[in-house]
Amino acid sequence: MSGLFDTLSVIILLTSFVLVANKRIKSYIKTFRIQSAFIALAAGIMGIQSITSEGRIDVLVVCFVIVVLKVIYIPKLLNRTYSGVEYKVEKDFILNIPILVLICCGLVVFTHFCIASIDGISQGYNDLQIINSVSVVMIGLFFMISRKKAIGQIIGFLVLENGIFITAMFATDGMPFIVDMGIFIDMLTAVMIMGIMVYQISDKFDTINIDKLNKLKG
Amino acid sequence: MGFLLLVIPLISVLLFFLVKKRLFLHVISLTASGLMMMIALPLTGDVIAKGTVEYAHYGGFFYLDSLSIIVLDIVLLIGFFAAIYSVQYLEVDVRRGKLDFGKVRLYYILMQLFLFTMILALTVKNMGIMWIAIEATTLASVFLVGFHNDRYALEAAWKYVIICSVGIAVAMLGIIFLHLSSIGVLESRELLQWTALMENAGRLNDSTARLAFIFILVGFGTKAGLAPMHTWLPDAHSQAPAPISALLSGVLLNSAMYGIIRMAAVVNKSLGSSIYTGRLLMAMGMLSIVIAAVFILTQKDYKRLLAYSSIEHMGIIAVAIGFFTPLSLFGGLLHMINHSLTKSMLFLCSGSLLQKFETKQIPRIKGVLKMLPFSGTAFLFGLFAIAGMPPFSVFASELGILMSVFNEGSYIIGAVLAILFVIVFAGIATAMFRIFYGSNENKDLEPGEENIPGTLIIMTLLVIIGITGLWMPDPIIELIHQAQSIISGV
Amino acid sequence: MSYIIYIIIQILTIVLTAPLVNGIIKKAKALSQKRTGPPVFQMYYDLYKLIRKGTVVSDVSSWIYKAAPYVVFSTALAAALLVPVSTLVTPANSIPGDFILMVSVFALGRFFMMAAGLDTGSTFGGMGSSREAMISSLAEPSILVCLFTAGLISGSTSLDRMMTFMQGTGTPLTHPATVLLFLALLSIIMMETARIPVDDPATHLELTMVHEAMLLEYSGRHLALMEYGAAIKQLVFMTLLVNLLVPHDQIIGFAGAGAVVLSLLIYLLKVILLAVLIALVEINTVKFRLFSIPNLAALSFILSFLAFLQYFLMGGGHVWFV
Repeated sequence: MSGLFDTLSVIILLTSFVLVANKRIKSYIKTFRIQSAFIALAAGIMGIQSITSEGRIDVLVVCFVIVVLKVIYIPKLLNRTYSGVEYKVEKDFILNIPILVLICCGLVVFTHFCIASIDGISQGYNDLQIINSVSVVMIGLFFMISRKKAIGQIIGFLVLENGIFITAMFATDGMPFIVDMGIFIDMLTAVMIMGIMVYQISDKFDTINIDKLNKLKG
Repeated sequence: MGFLLLVIPLISVLLFFLVKKRLFLHVISLTASGLMMMIALPLTGDVIAKGTVEYAHYGGFFYLDSLSIIVLDIVLLIGFFAAIYSVQYLEVDVRRGKLDFGKVRLYYILMQLFLFTMILALTVKNMGIMWIAIEATTLASVFLVGFHNDRYALEAAWKYVIICSVGIAVAMLGIIFLHLSSIGVLESRELLQWTALMENAGRLNDSTARLAFIFILVGFGTKAGLAPMHTWLPDAHSQAPAPISALLSGVLLNSAMYGIIRMAAVVNKSLGSSIYTGRLLMAMGMLSIVIAAVFILTQKDYKRLLAYSSIEHMGIIAVAIGFFTPLSLFGGLLHMINHSLTKSMLFLCSGSLLQKFETKQIPRIKGVLKMLPFSGTAFLFGLFAIAGMPPFSVFASELGILMSVFNEGSYIIGAVLAILFVIVFAGIATAMFRIFYGSNENKDLEPGEENIPGTLIIMTLLVIIGITGLWMPDPIIELIHQAQSIISGV
Repeated sequence: MSYIIYIIIQILTIVLTAPLVNGIIKKAKALSQKRTGPPVFQMYYDLYKLIRKGTVVSDVSSWIYKAAPYVVFSTALAAALLVPVSTLVTPANSIPGDFILMVSVFALGRFFMMAAGLDTGSTFGGMGSSREAMISSLAEPSILVCLFTAGLISGSTSLDRMMTFMQGTGTPLTHPATVLLFLALLSIIMMETARIPVDDPATHLELTMVHEAMLLEYSGRHLALMEYGAAIKQLVFMTLLVNLLVPHDQIIGFAGAGAVVLSLLIYLLKVILLAVLIALVEINTVKFRLFSIPNLAALSFILSFLAFLQYFLMGGGHVWFV
């Protein structure tokens, strides 16, 4: 069973690489959807495990919430926000895509060295899952930095939260239920707020290039 | 009774949706804040007498000890003052046609929600729920920061939401690691509870606790404005409306610092010594003070200058907490109180300035003392106060912290701190003092205060910070001592 | 099994199956577009037709032009000998030569193909050669890291030892490193065998052709040999993927001639399934712009490198399979 989780964690890491290698905004949202679907799958398996062994239903509820929120609702919200804005493909990057992907690879190695030096975390297997999950967090952060359009920052933030969520799941077999629910509500509100702001920015600035937002300096 | 503190803001939000006239909005807001302040007094008395206030309902999540009650009192007091100030502030803007009923209602709803989330963060003992509340404070205040809805405000709000959300997400990682470090040590019903963590601190996994501290420091430090994660702060605090800036600077930064203090207490007890956390806190604190000093010297916008001053003072508090001796902890807590009162007063004054002169640029303002006799004078004295001049309260706490540093024999750190204080004072002086003299060339502006109740509040605050610089009532000193011993874990 | 029997079975299987794969892929693509498409054995008929035709050789070309088809075909066959179709038929001491040899032999064939493209002096050939050079230089690191990881996992660089080890481990595809290796090898197949999204095998438009450009000048039996060589190369890569990562031989409990036949049949089935998978990938993607191919190559390299990393994160082989 733990081998299955290893594989799932690797596939989730893979989807974040695919995200970085993408250029089209619709693909960002689609890749995020696929990643959330895999996370929901992992949560579901963990939920079934916890029901049969301990009778706790909360992990399954969490899985259901993930499916509703991250797989269905939030991508729909983002697509709707985005249909009003004209930019569909990102054309300029700071560095080109292969280098970005290689940097992400470097981030995974970096995470490995950081976590491997902590003894007590690794009970052998969990090491792999935690490293993959924390790498997803790092890659989400890197994605936020490397994109110039506002939608990139929103998706990066969502991937960051995804990564944190699976770290919690793999490392601790699920956080206390109320904390999980709180995280979801926070994240949903944050995304809604960001969506509204992208709209207003596009309205006021006529562009969603974040590096045009540079008037406040010093 | 403590539950009323949580329920009142929610009820007032509901009521805001129901009323149709602006007058009622102001009335509801004032009543709510006033009620909350009145509830704070018996609660404080309870905490001084019994040490903690805990209710067993709903799983026993409600918990107040001396540390929480100090920060909570500041929240409620300044919330009350800001509510009074807001009334006339908003009315002036409505009269000038910049706001309508819907916006005023939005303002009040968000302000009450903002207060609710901060109160929630301070009254729970589960670190996970505390995290949720602190994240919620960001979300509740985003649209308050972007309230004026022009390009600058929008840019500030976007930076605010992105940077703080990322910071808070990193803090979540820290909380996960904290949870990891306590597996096998705590029972499942007490997971992530601060009291249980303090009790069992010796048995927590050391290296995971260290990792947890770093992440939480970076995460909550983003919200608290510690460098190098401070970049959102000058924008957000300068673009928000004045009473909201007062709340953000005076209250929200404290709440984030509160999270860091709780975490530092646990980790220090677990590791047995404060060297690890101390080094990190002091490094970030010193960096914040240095950056703030540098940027203050060249500021042209007075609200941004006040924001940088907040960064500096948060840095001072971080250094005090990092030092972790009883004297420095006392000084740090005292500084939290003093800074909040002084900074809120300054921001409220800046609101009056903004409404009178309609510009944020220092070079364009002259003759403040003639134009705004009361708020202008308070502003002048307030600038003296925040720069650390006696007899005001900030001087007392800064002196306390400096003395505690020198007591331990860290002469270099003490000397560097003293030099930085002087630089900041010089910076504020050169930047600001020329606005007070001379006379205003714009003949259309008449001298006189526009916001009478607000000016009263400002004078009240001025008097408070003047008196507390010389004498603090004994119960408060007792309270701070109790809080300091809670943090030291004895 | 002795060497001779191994060589005979190996060559027969590969040579006979190679054109079949192309036919299956074309058929699958046609069916997805609701056309009937060419019959599955079409390539056999094409090759037969081409062999019997005469060749036209340009005056300005040198010996490379005439030698290239033979080199391509023979290197493909030589590489094929290194990748066993079934570990039941491998000789008792392992095959001399490992995956590095295989990659280098293919590189030899590719070099001659590129040189031949330049040899005739036509612009299409030169263009094809330069594009092929770019794509293959991006794909080589990926193949090497991928196979190196598989070699690390199984503790040997000889391909049949690798296959044997993989079979001893039960269900490799649920393991994180092998999932990544599967995806990496799949994208390598796309790049090495000139399929969409890297290169369209059915076009002769200047804008889009890479492999076809180098073959443009050939006719008759030279063309037959080149095409056959490409088909064998494709089958060898597919065998690599199929036998390394979805092994089947040790499931067969018994030994002897019957076991060999059964093993070969299962192998054929796996190859057909993989061909259908490749066709699915081709149907669902479009050909990338030439300058987007480095993105795909980077992704493929990352997949291999991640597989390598995951292997180390698992403790370097101590806790390999549960």
